[in-house]
Amino acid sequence: MNRQQEFVLRTIEERDVRFVRLWFTDVVGSLKSVALAPAEVEGAFEEGLGFDGSAIEGLARVFESDMLAQPDPSTFQILPWRGNGKSEQTSRMFCDVLTPDGEPSAADPRNVLKRTLAKAADMGFTCYTHPEIEFYLLKSDKPGPDGVPVPVDQAGYFDHVPGGVAQDFRRTAVTMLEDVGISVEFSHHEGGPGQNEIDLRYADALQTADNIMTFRTVIREVAIQQGTYATFMPKPFSDHPGSGMHTHFSLFEGDSNAFHEPGAEYQLSKTARQFMAGILKHAPEFTAVTNQFVNSYKRLWGGGEAPSYVSWGHNNRSALMRVPLYKPGKGQAARLEYRGIDSAANPYLAYAVLLGAGLKGIEEGYELPPAAVEDVSLLTSAERRLMGHDPLPSSLHDAVRQMEESEFMAQVLGEQVFENFLRNKRDEWQEYRLQVTPYEINRYLGVL
Amino acid sequence: MSSLTRTLISRGFSDLEMCERFLGFPELAGLDTVELLDALSVADNPDMALQSLVRLLSAAPQGRRLLGHVDPDTEDRVPNTPLFRLLGASEALADFLMRHPHNLDVVDPAAGPGAWATAGELRDSLLRAVGADPSSGRPVAQLTGAEARMALRSQYRRHLCELALRDLAAPSPQDAMPLVGAELADLAGAALDGALAVARAEVGATAGAENVAAVRLAVIGMGKCGARELNYISDVDVMYVVALDTDAPAAGGLDESGAVRIGNALASALSRAIYAPDREPGLWEVDANLRPEGKDGQLVRTLDSYLAYYQRWAQSWEFQALLKARTVAGDPELGQEFEAAVSPLIWASSERDGFVESVQAMRRRVTANIPDADADRQIKLGKGGLRDVEFTVQLLQLVHGKSDPRIRPRATTAAIEALTKAGFIGRTDAALLFNHYTYLRVLEHRIQLVHMRRTHAMPTAPAQLRALARALQGPNGSKRPSAESLEADWAKVKRSVRSLHERIFYRPILATAAHLSAEDAALSTDAARARLAALGYRDAAGATRHIEALTAGVSRRAALQRQLLPVLLGWLADGVDPDAGLLAFRRVSDALGTSHWYLGMLRDHQAAAERLCHLLSSSRLVSDLLEVSPEATAWLGNSKELVPLSFEAQWTEIQAKLSRHSDPMDAIRLVRLLRQREILRIAIADSCGLLEPDQVSAALSDADRAAVLGALHVAESEVQPAGEKLTDVLVVAMGRQGGREIGYGSDADVLFVHRPLAGLGDGQAEAANQQAKALVQRLTALLTAPVRPAIQAERVLAIDADLRPEGRSGPLVRSLDAYAEYYARWSSAWEAQALLRARPMAGSDDLAAAFTAMADPVRYPAAISAEDVLEIKRIKARMESERLPRGADPARHVKLGRGGLSDVEWLVQLLQLQHAHAHPELRTTQTLQALHAALDLGLLAAEDAEQLEAAWRLAGRIRNANVLWTGKTSDLLPSARRDLEAVARSCGHEPGSAAAFEEEYLGLTRRARAVFERLFYG
Repeated sequence: MNRQQEFVLRTIEERDVRFVRLWFTDVVGSLKSVALAPAEVEGAFEEGLGFDGSAIEGLARVFESDMLAQPDPSTFQILPWRGNGKSEQTSRMFCDVLTPDGEPSAADPRNVLKRTLAKAADMGFTCYTHPEIEFYLLKSDKPGPDGVPVPVDQAGYFDHVPGGVAQDFRRTAVTMLEDVGISVEFSHHEGGPGQNEIDLRYADALQTADNIMTFRTVIREVAIQQGTYATFMPKPFSDHPGSGMHTHFSLFEGDSNAFHEPGAEYQLSKTARQFMAGILKHAPEFTAVTNQFVNSYKRLWGGGEAPSYVSWGHNNRSALMRVPLYKPGKGQAARLEYRGIDSAANPYLAYAVLLGAGLKGIEEGYELPPAAVEDVSLLTSAERRLMGHDPLPSSLHDAVRQMEESEFMAQVLGEQVFENFLRNKRDEWQEYRLQVTPYEINRYLGVL
Repeated sequence: MSSLTRTLISRGFSDLEMCERFLGFPELAGLDTVELLDALSVADNPDMALQSLVRLLSAAPQGRRLLGHVDPDTEDRVPNTPLFRLLGASEALADFLMRHPHNLDVVDPAAGPGAWATAGELRDSLLRAVGADPSSGRPVAQLTGAEARMALRSQYRRHLCELALRDLAAPSPQDAMPLVGAELADLAGAALDGALAVARAEVGATAGAENVAAVRLAVIGMGKCGARELNYISDVDVMYVVALDTDAPAAGGLDESGAVRIGNALASALSRAIYAPDREPGLWEVDANLRPEGKDGQLVRTLDSYLAYYQRWAQSWEFQALLKARTVAGDPELGQEFEAAVSPLIWASSERDGFVESVQAMRRRVTANIPDADADRQIKLGKGGLRDVEFTVQLLQLVHGKSDPRIRPRATTAAIEALTKAGFIGRTDAALLFNHYTYLRVLEHRIQLVHMRRTHAMPTAPAQLRALARALQGPNGSKRPSAESLEADWAKVKRSVRSLHERIFYRPILATAAHLSAEDAALSTDAARARLAALGYRDAAGATRHIEALTAGVSRRAALQRQLLPVLLGWLADGVDPDAGLLAFRRVSDALGTSHWYLGMLRDHQAAAERLCHLLSSSRLVSDLLEVSPEATAWLGNSKELVPLSFEAQWTEIQAKLSRHSDPMDAIRLVRLLRQREILRIAIADSCGLLEPDQVSAALSDADRAAVLGALHVAESEVQPAGEKLTDVLVVAMGRQGGREIGYGSDADVLFVHRPLAGLGDGQAEAANQQAKALVQRLTALLTAPVRPAIQAERVLAIDADLRPEGRSGPLVRSLDAYAEYYARWSSAWEAQALLRARPMAGSDDLAAAFTAMADPVRYPAAISAEDVLEIKRIKARMESERLPRGADPARHVKLGRGGLSDVEWLVQLLQLQHAHAHPELRTTQTLQALHAALDLGLLAAEDAEQLEAAWRLAGRIRNANVLWTGKTSDLLPSARRDLEAVARSCGHEPGSAAAFEEEYLGLTRRARAVFERLFYG
């Protein structure tokens, strides 16, 4: 029993915690939860908690289904939306998934990220991320009479809505996030009606991924409490912007920011350029992970701010990767923003592949192509081809095909997650192909 | 012989000619030669003492007055023994005195030997030498640069001379060794303090004195310096902790990163003061590579930064290194804060995951052979060297130290004492261990002292060896020991150290289990189990029971096993499953315990015993077979016995057996026993790494072939008694058996052919057919039917004739003509494909040749139609979905799974069908041979062929490894970690690489599958 574990047990005792939820994620990033009575927690620390992995999407096949969930005591947190005030609290811990022999399971997404971070550590880096998460607030989880979801308001970017539902919502949500130890940097109304953005403060990549999982739960809980519904679906409206999860990355070597080099172009160090080159080079291969649903491609190719071509730029809002404006004297804040990822990605896998691609760029010394200065989406396709702005995959099918061919992806995810993920996505595409969509009915039924 | 020569010999001189020459030098003029030689004889190496004396007097004539004095009472001339002892022990220190003769007063007889210096005295002295004030909290030197280096280093060496004099004067050098080691560490610490004062002055000149004064720096000694058991000369391992003194006047202008920057500059300047080349040579390298992140890490860190690293990133060995951490110089409070903060981490580390693995890795590192050519001259790293002692002690500290703070001292000698007091080492063993350790350390010290060089190698020159032998006796030794006696003593110590490790670590486990004599350390049951668990025994209680059973009683076997078990337990623990190994050992031992050769082998044949332990703890197949045929254990002692028997040799033996046993069941039983014996031989040789995978398959195929041929003969004698023979029968191997690519427990895929004897009447054709059928049925039955007495643990050779034309619905055996007709008229593509691997296995050569002649046009067709190619592809596609066992993961099925054996083989066979007619190189039953031929012919790209071959080879190895490990046939890559580990090791991977091995297989087969899909399905 180590100190952190002791701390958890003591807190459970002192705070009158009645339930401890163990959280982990499946391969697509859905949160899985199992509740323990406080008395069972010690055993779970020591031996892990057995469960049937084959029941979890992409975790195991039937013939090797026994798995263990081992709680990570450093993630212990009281959940403020449960329990009544000071007593009968509910808490949660994230789990690592282990094989019955107590080895980290190769199929656990959290382990995939941990492995990538360990590799970064071997190269002397610690990785920090800072996500900007967009989502829609709807009146309910059912679409309206015209088949389109109904947002809670009709406001736009940065709009202040007097007495607005969204404002109340953001205040409550931010307070609750702070209560569970997630620092919020920024929150505002986004471009679409009912669309909001909340930025989390930068933190270590594993912690950020854990935070995103918690964040989604908190947002949904608060919405329900207020009689609304929050969705992270990448593109719920044909006519309004999709929900992205732009993420800023920075690498630190010891105490110093490895991306910062005073005097260089955009103050970008060689490490930063190689990191960015790595991400750009492998972006088409990992898009299946960062944009993992059929619906994700409606956002990527739906116009607006969503980036669809491999490109980077300094403050260029059409670029896939952006070098944010440099503020003098803020060398430690040097970072790179990846704008392709959407709000429904599995954060563990998405960050693992992004960091993995960047690290590969550093390791192999990739050359960064020139920056895009114009709006890439306004170029002709011939121009884009000439300038090396390859398109991202145009559909889930296309993305899966590109991922299948990628040795890089097999390496970062590990052979098992690679295989499980692909299987899951092929199935999804297959199901989607069988659908006759409202578009087809509207378009063809009357005329054919 | 001149009397001078005699005198020289009797005084212990070696190079007489040289000595006579030196004695004639003018520096010695006026001295009484005999008196001088008597004086020199107190030196360990009188030759060296004489030479150094002459050189010293030439450099510093005033030294003459130090050679001796007149005793006021007796009026006798008394020689200056300390001077001569020093000159005879260290050329380097003699050189120092020549360079700086004003230090000669250290050997002034009037001064006396002096007491051991304290750390404080040494620190004060070295600080004063550079003009720093010892009473200041952060002393700053007045001297800098070359001047400071000269002052610091010569003062250090002056103290080193004093220390060496005390060491040389100690009546028992071994008893004095811990004190010498401690003072050397203190002296090194004092030098670091002096150097830090110099560094403060130097850095202050550029970074501002007041800024430097606001920076606290502690130097943490690691390794031997931290443990206060330093050598005369060695790297000094350190780490630097830096902090900003917020109370200092200049602190306001400095932030933490500024303090770190200054700390870095201080550490570099410190290292320069100690080691940078200069007129007075550097002392020793200040080595900071044990710091977090090693060479690439920051040189200095704040305490918080250290803790953040240790809590988050540090690996097990780094905690082990911290065992020795001690503040040796700089800011003592800061150092103590560091010690206090890291100490809980060290002991918590043994609760971390992977502790057992790291202990095992530690054992392997130590027991791994040192590649050095002169390993057997190594005092430190060689077998039975210092490292072995240190390892034994540290291992015990790690295993028991978390529950027992008493046994945590840093120094090896102190730790031995503490472990003994706490009852973890028996008194006798502890005394031996202590004695050996100090013995080896004194050797090391005295070897280093001569030239102050960092060496751990035993010299080879007899004169040097004699000097060392003398040195070990101390100044009062009476006899002049020979070089041979030193070598003999050293060898004895090495042997004893080797066995002590086993004795000290394992014997107490036995003592607890088997209630041995009270002399041994009495471990509590828990402590014994902790040791077993640290070795990797999972069921420590069960292991204790087996040990009890093996050692109980008064039989010769029990007595011997009490002696041997400590070693065997270690070897068993190297395997994947020590528990099973111990149990199997107990079984084998029960079966063989009374046979004298077995005990003899265990006792006298270490390599064989080690092999046995390895086999028992890593192969269920071998354990099971050894249990029923324990006499095979005898092969382990003789590598010749582990060479698989050729087919011819087996067949000769079978013929001899058949000729002696007329009863068919008796005869076939012997044939089958022989096959089992050969399989065991192959499995043992395979597990011991004596066979390549190809050789294993070929040898297994030969064993099966010999058995089938034997069975054919027995069946013939039954079914075709003399005069009733109507037909010749040929057994043709098919499938992997045809390619000689089988694994343990493979079925024999065959096809039966017969050819009626010439001159049979028309009516007899059917009778011949019937006889052939009866014969092959009998053959099949003979190989599988139960025999009496039963053959235990037999893996019967199942005969599978399903690859014949028309499969199961076709006749079991056909005549050659019938085959010819069949293939000419009906044959489908897959039957031609199956024939690709047909290889006559048993029967007449004549018929074999005829069969091959018949088969060749079928399997190597001049042209293969597009329909046939498509048909083959369709069968393969259907097989992929149908033949895979229900629920099996295709990615892990080595035979039918993606990129597995079958993918590669089908692709190769398709190429053979298409091209073997034109290219006879492709006409082979062996997959790899055909693959290579296809590559040479340009039918495959090199990188494709490489992927396919690698996947095919690995899949085959995994199949075999599965059987070796579990004793059961399985075509799945295991997913349980321990099974995977065992298979990985069996495939030649390092211990602990199960996960990497799994990735390797999955990746390799994924890529092979991509190649296959591209080339096969197109």
